[in-house]
Amino acid sequence: MRSAYNIIWLYNLEVIKETKRWLKARFIEEAQFKTIVEAHPSSFYHPNFIIRIIIFAATLIGLSGVTGLFALIVLDTDQIVISISCILYGIGSFVLVDQIVIKNYKHYKSGLTEALIYHACGFTIGGFAGLIDFSILPLLLFSVLVLSFAAYRYLDLLTTAVAFFTFAYLVFYSFFSLDGVFQQIISFIFILCFSTLYFLSKKIKSKSNFAIWSNNLVIVESLSLLMAYLAGNYLVVRELSVNLMGIVIEGGQDIPFAFLFYGFTVLIPIAYLYFGIKNKDVVLLRVSLLVLACSVFTLKYYDGFDHPEVLLTASGIILLGIGLILFRFLKTIRNGFTREDLISEKWASMDAGAFIISQTLGGNPITVDESFQGGGGNFGGGGSSGSF
Amino acid sequence: MIRNTPRDLLEKGLISEAQFNQIEPIVSGKLVSVFYELRTMLYLGVVLFTGGIGILIYENIGDLGHLISILLLSVITLVCFWYVFTKGFPFSIEKVKPPTPYFDYIVLLGSLLFISVQGYLQFQYGLLEDNLGWSTLISAAFFFYIAYRFNNLGILSLAITALASFWSISVSPQKWYSDNFLETAHLHITAIFFGSILGALAMVLNWKSIKKHFTFTYINFSILIFFVGATAGLFEGNLYLIYLLLIYAGCFFAIYYAKRERSFLFLLYAFVFGYVGTTYLMVDLILDKVPELIFYYAILSCGGFVYFILSYKKFFTRKA
Repeated sequence: MRSAYNIIWLYNLEVIKETKRWLKARFIEEAQFKTIVEAHPSSFYHPNFIIRIIIFAATLIGLSGVTGLFALIVLDTDQIVISISCILYGIGSFVLVDQIVIKNYKHYKSGLTEALIYHACGFTIGGFAGLIDFSILPLLLFSVLVLSFAAYRYLDLLTTAVAFFTFAYLVFYSFFSLDGVFQQIISFIFILCFSTLYFLSKKIKSKSNFAIWSNNLVIVESLSLLMAYLAGNYLVVRELSVNLMGIVIEGGQDIPFAFLFYGFTVLIPIAYLYFGIKNKDVVLLRVSLLVLACSVFTLKYYDGFDHPEVLLTASGIILLGIGLILFRFLKTIRNGFTREDLISEKWASMDAGAFIISQTLGGNPITVDESFQGGGGNFGGGGSSGSF
Repeated sequence: MIRNTPRDLLEKGLISEAQFNQIEPIVSGKLVSVFYELRTMLYLGVVLFTGGIGILIYENIGDLGHLISILLLSVITLVCFWYVFTKGFPFSIEKVKPPTPYFDYIVLLGSLLFISVQGYLQFQYGLLEDNLGWSTLISAAFFFYIAYRFNNLGILSLAITALASFWSISVSPQKWYSDNFLETAHLHITAIFFGSILGALAMVLNWKSIKKHFTFTYINFSILIFFVGATAGLFEGNLYLIYLLLIYAGCFFAIYYAKRERSFLFLLYAFVFGYVGTTYLMVDLILDKVPELIFYYAILSCGGFVYFILSYKKFFTRKA
């Protein structure tokens, strides 16, 4: 089985998207871009992101109507009938999106396709859950299967992420329910499992006949890195041990293998950062910065948050300092890294940046006053939301 | 997927050898840009630093080290402004490219610290004590000046937010103190006026070609404030037809602007608020009496929207 989409059109669409970025970065001329577009025809209906959101929302509204009517028909029967009709309804939605929307109308990630796919996944999984009376293990297995199918066949990124997390939970659940020594080694199994998954997806990504799934694989790759880190993070392990496995930690004691988890917490981010820089791997680099922040938080968490404002100020100074130093340092290209904006990212527009600034810093001058007046009401709220 | 595209295009003769040599290292990952990573770092640095220092000052008021820290902050602020005034390009009504990639963040840091320092001074010396609103207005004016002087969109959005909160404060502060938040009386009317006036001003500035790239941010804020105000009025119930007409007027403007600027975000606003308004009307007229019709209404409205988008495909083709 292959992807539901025409591979040549997919490739052509990607080429057009990529060369448009080259055009914006002034690597190629307008006329050249036009000939490239003409040489790479693609019949997909693939609207811009906002239009996709509108179509997605409208489809959900419409589907809620259809589902309501459907519910009126089957609601009075018993659970088995409802479950089976839900599965059939879900499969019907899959057939609709596959054979009609994608094959006949040539939609490609148009908002309509996503809404129908999620809807289909939801009903298939929900119906199956009813059929097996909500027993967890088969339900998780079935969910992973359905979601991976949707991710694979429709190249969908959200179902990829959801399938990944469901899989992680499946691994966790199956070892957790085994009791005894298996509960103790869940961390190590996670690290083993997700580092394998990481190298596997990297390997698959390098093969050219899997190229159309490269975005899905990037998601699997970065989530695997994150999961392997979290499984070794001291805070996560400790809190989960206490809350789920009922380990009681008294004063002076610590969780089993505590030194190992402290080691992981410190070393994994550094290893990620080192290999990210060495191999010029952007995925690794970005994940490493994220987990570095998590590690700082973890270590501070047990060190005590006596002075959060000092921590805030100090980390602000450090970030500003490192950022400025690196900006100056990378004025010339070093080890293949540059500070210049080579080909702009699709999502990085100045307008979006301005919006983020207003949302995160908006109330700043006002909240400072507010904390002083004591009960100054809704100042900060009014200021920071930008829309009341 | 596009790893081999540069070579492919070169072989087809669609790009030149020189262009290939320029593009290939980037696409293949031999040359990596950390532009966005570094900017995110600076941005987080500014947020954490100004946030932390703000709390730090106010928690330690009266301490010995307090005056020193204020002095230190003033010095940092001065350094920031010295940097941006010496390095920055002179004012222009056009878009100005920042001289260094981190220039915008120095402007942001300096402005936020300046606001912290002046807020502290106001508090300490009791300036403007009774009129907190004026302090917000002064902040807004300062932000507007910086935004235009240094061509900074982020500061502009802070200016607009400060200005908006000035209005929402001075309209009905006594209502808040008397625990009657829900009756913030004419707040939504203020919002409608504020949105329309700000939007009109933005269109005038755009027409006069003063900082045309600011228009998007202005219109974005004003249209959202307008819509939220009108929707709040709608849900208040009395005179809802007037608010409904206002919402429709807003939708027309949003669709007009979306088409003119090919900015689809405004189409989304028109869709959301127009749909909310229409649904309110339908509930009031029919659906309240025959609830089963809701399902058909949902299906019909979905069909209507998808039809609208698909048939307007040519108007809203992708931005080239």
